[in-house]
Amino acid sequence: MAIIQLTVNGKPYAVETDPTMPLLWVIRDIVGLTGTKYGCGIAQCGACTVHLDGMAVRSCSVPISAVGDKKVTTIEGLSSNGQHPLQLAWEELDVPQCGYCQAGQIMNAAALLSQKPNPSNDEIEMGMRGNLCRCGTYQRIFRAIRKAALINAQTPSK
Amino acid sequence: MMTFHASAIKLSTGAIADDSNTIGDFVRIMPDGGIYFQFVKHEMGQGIATAMAQIFSDELCADWERVKIEFPSADLKRYQNDANGGHDTGGSCTIIYQWDILRKAGATARQMLVEAAAKHWDVASSACYAQSHMVINRTTGKRIDFGKLAKLAAVMAIPAVVSLKEQTDFRIIGKPKTSKLIPGMVRGELKFGIDAKVPGMLYAVIARCPVFKGKLTSFDASQTLKIPGVKKVFSTQPIAGLQIHAPYMPYDIREGVVVAGDSFWAVKKGQEALKISWEEGINGTLSSQDFERMVEKRALHKTDPTGYVGDENAVSNVTHVRKTIRASYVFPHQLHSCMEPLNCTAHVTDKGCDVWLGTQAPHLIVSELNRVFKFPEDSIKVHLFPSGGGFGRRYYPDMAVEAAFISRELGNLPVKMIWTREDDHQANLGHLFQHLEYQVALDKENHLYAWYEKELRSYTWAAKYADPQIPAMAYDIPNIRFDFEDLIDDELVHSSAWRGVVGHGRFYSECFIDEIAAELKVDPYQFRLSLLKEGRDVFVGDIYPVSSSRIIRVLRLAAEKAGWGKKMEPGEGMGLAVCPYGNSYCGVVAEVAVNDNKLTIKKMTIGVDCGKVINPSGAANQIEGGIVWSLTALMYGGYPIKNGRATQRNFHENKLLRMDECPPIDVHFVPSQDERPWGIGEISSPLGVPAVLNAIFAATGKRIRKVPIGLEVVGSRFQV
Repeated sequence: MAIIQLTVNGKPYAVETDPTMPLLWVIRDIVGLTGTKYGCGIAQCGACTVHLDGMAVRSCSVPISAVGDKKVTTIEGLSSNGQHPLQLAWEELDVPQCGYCQAGQIMNAAALLSQKPNPSNDEIEMGMRGNLCRCGTYQRIFRAIRKAALINAQTPSK
Repeated sequence: MMTFHASAIKLSTGAIADDSNTIGDFVRIMPDGGIYFQFVKHEMGQGIATAMAQIFSDELCADWERVKIEFPSADLKRYQNDANGGHDTGGSCTIIYQWDILRKAGATARQMLVEAAAKHWDVASSACYAQSHMVINRTTGKRIDFGKLAKLAAVMAIPAVVSLKEQTDFRIIGKPKTSKLIPGMVRGELKFGIDAKVPGMLYAVIARCPVFKGKLTSFDASQTLKIPGVKKVFSTQPIAGLQIHAPYMPYDIREGVVVAGDSFWAVKKGQEALKISWEEGINGTLSSQDFERMVEKRALHKTDPTGYVGDENAVSNVTHVRKTIRASYVFPHQLHSCMEPLNCTAHVTDKGCDVWLGTQAPHLIVSELNRVFKFPEDSIKVHLFPSGGGFGRRYYPDMAVEAAFISRELGNLPVKMIWTREDDHQANLGHLFQHLEYQVALDKENHLYAWYEKELRSYTWAAKYADPQIPAMAYDIPNIRFDFEDLIDDELVHSSAWRGVVGHGRFYSECFIDEIAAELKVDPYQFRLSLLKEGRDVFVGDIYPVSSSRIIRVLRLAAEKAGWGKKMEPGEGMGLAVCPYGNSYCGVVAEVAVNDNKLTIKKMTIGVDCGKVINPSGAANQIEGGIVWSLTALMYGGYPIKNGRATQRNFHENKLLRMDECPPIDVHFVPSQDERPWGIGEISSPLGVPAVLNAIFAATGKRIRKVPIGLEVVGSRFQV
C-alpha cells in the first residue's frame, strides 16, 4: 500500500492504495466519481476513457502509480455546467441509447477535437474506433462530433 | 411535493394496490409544478422511459420541459405483471401495453387537477380545462398552474370515467424528443446498477466453472488470501442448482468460487491467484464443431409437423412436384456483451434483503430470493437502476441470487458483486443456437408449390414445441409445413434469449426465398411481391396475424428509398429482407461491394411500420442499433467453444462492430393509419444478416448460410 497524491477535476486527493490499482478503480471506488465506466479492463472498449493532462487514456490500464503529477479529468469535470460543445451536440442529436459507453465516447471525442478542431470524416472514424458501443449509436456519435466541431468553429475564441 | 393517491392509478390501470400506499405512483407533482414521472419499467437503452413519459405527459397536458423521470424501487403489489403493466420488460412489448395504461393514468391525473381547480374557483368542472401545465377557467380566462393545484388534486375523488385526448390534439406523442436521460449521461451523473453504493460495502467476484454442466472439485486459496484486501474465499455450491435434464431454466447458478474483499481490484487479483480444479463433465471434451455435427444429423431425423397448411407431405408429392431445392442455415450461439458487465449489490439483514441493480424482471428476483433463501417476499427490496444494455440477459435473476448469497456468507455485510469482462466471456449464458433446414418444391409451371421448414433450437422456455407453429411469413404458398426439434438435452452453451430472439434463425427464410428467386432467375423484390396478396392476413399461431399489406408497404418503402434496381458495378449488389415482429413490420435493403474477399457494406436502408410512432428520434435510434447488432453477428458473431471452454477471453478476441466498420443507416417510417404503437426494440435486429447475405449473393453469386461469414470488413463512411 502507498499514499498517492493526485488531482482529479482540479481537486487534490491523497489516496492510500495498492500502487498497481488502475486509475479507473481509484476514480470510481476511492474518489467516488462513477461517471467513468468499467467495460473490459484491457483497453479494448474505451468506456473508461479520461484525460491525463488533456490526453485521452484508458484508465483501466493506467496503474495509479503511473499517473504522477498529471492532472486527471473525468466526464464530471469536462465542463463546469454540461455546456461543452460535445455535451450539447450529444443532447441535440439524441445520441445515446443505454448511455453506458457515452462518457468514454465523449472524453475520447473531446481529446480528438482539442487536437484537431476540424477533423476530417476519416479522422473522426479512425479516432473513435477504440470506443465500442453495443447499442450501435455510431452514426449519431459521428454526426454529433461533426456538429460539435461546427459549434467550436462558430464560437469566437476568447 | 404531492403524490397522487395510489387509487387514482388503481382505477385507471386496473392494478391492485393498497389505497394507503402512495409509493410508486406514475406521478409526483411538486409545488413548483415540477412533474416527476414514475418510471417502473426497465430502461436499458431502448428509450422506453422517454416514450412512456411522452404518453403520460401528453394526456396530462403537461409542459414537456418540466417533466423529469424518476426510478422508484420495485413494488410488485402495486405494479403487477398482468398484461405487462408491471415492472417486467422484454419482448418489445412495453409500449404496446403501456399505451392504454398511461393514457388513462395521465387523463385521470389531468381530470383530478381540473376538478381541483373547479373546487378552488367554486365552479363546475365542465367550466375548466387543462392546457400547457395549467387549468384554465373558460368563463373568466383565469389560469392556475398544476403545481398550485397538486395538493388539492391529490385528495379529489377519483373520476369513474375519464376522457382521453383526441389524437389530433397530441402535442408530445409523435414528436421527436431527445431522451430525458441524456443530460445525466453526458455529465456522468446517471447512475447505473454498477454505480450503486451502500455504506460499508465490500466487493466480490466469482470464478465460475468455465464448462457448462461442470462442477467444482476443489480449490486452493492460499495465494489469494495473501493479497492485501482479500477477506474471504468460499464456494457457491450451496446455491448452485443446475438441472442437467430439461427443462432447465437459465438462471440456475453455475458452481464457482467467491473472492470477497475491500476493493474490486483486490478481489480481481485474488481471483487470478486461485487454483481451482473442476470436474468438467460431459461437455469437457466437446467443441462447437462437435455440437454442430450432432445438430446436422438430427436435422435429418424424420419428425412430425408442429403445424402445417394444405398437405403436410406436399414436398414429396411426385405428381405435382417438378423440382425441389434444399438448404440448411445456422445461427450459432452469441454473447450479449452488455457494455455494463453483470453486477448486483446486495445486503442481507436480519429482516430480509435489499438488492441494487438494473433488471428486466424484478418479480423473478423476488421469487428466486424467496425460494432460495426463504426471505419473505415483503422483506425483499429491489432498488431499480437503468442498465448499460440488457438485450435479454438481464431478464434472468442469477446475479441477485449470487450477490445475496455472498452478503449472507460475509455475515450480512453489504457487497457489490461484479462479473469481470473475462467472466462474461467464459461462463455466461449465450444466445440460443438455431439450425434451419429448408426444402421447397416447384410445380410444373414453376410455381412455389410447397415449403418445408425444420428448426432445431437450444432453448424453448420449457415449451414442448415452437411458437408460432408455422413460419411467420406472408408468402402465399399452398402447402407449408413446419417441424421443430429441441436441442436442450445436448446443450454445450447455457442458452438464453438475446435481442431478436428466435427471429435470427427463423428469418433466414428471407435468404431461402432469395435462393428460390435465383433458381427461377427472377428479381428477388418482384418475386416477393408476386407471392404477397394485398389484404391477406395470415394466421401463424401467434397473437397477431401477419399482414401481407403491411409487409408490402415496408418492402416497397425500403426498396424505393434504396433505389432498388439501379445499375450496380461488377462486384456490387443489393439484397433485401422483410419480416414481422410482434405486430410491427420491417424491410431492409443492404448495398454491398465485395472485392478479393473483402466486404464493404455501403449502406443499409430500412422501412418500418411500428404503428403509431411515439418518438420518431428514439424509434429510429432503435432501428439503427438493431442493424448494428445484426452486423456484429454477421461479421464477428458466434461463441466458439473448444473442449467445453469459450475460446474468446475478452473484446480483443470477441470483436464487436466499431465505428469505422459501421455503414450509413437510413431509416424511414411508413405513415401509419394505426392509432396505437407496436414494439420497436428488436424488429430490425434479425434482418441485417439476411439482407447482407442476399446482397453478397447478388454481388458475387456466392451463397453464405452461416454467420459469422469470415470475410474481411472494409469500412464505409457516414454521410453528414
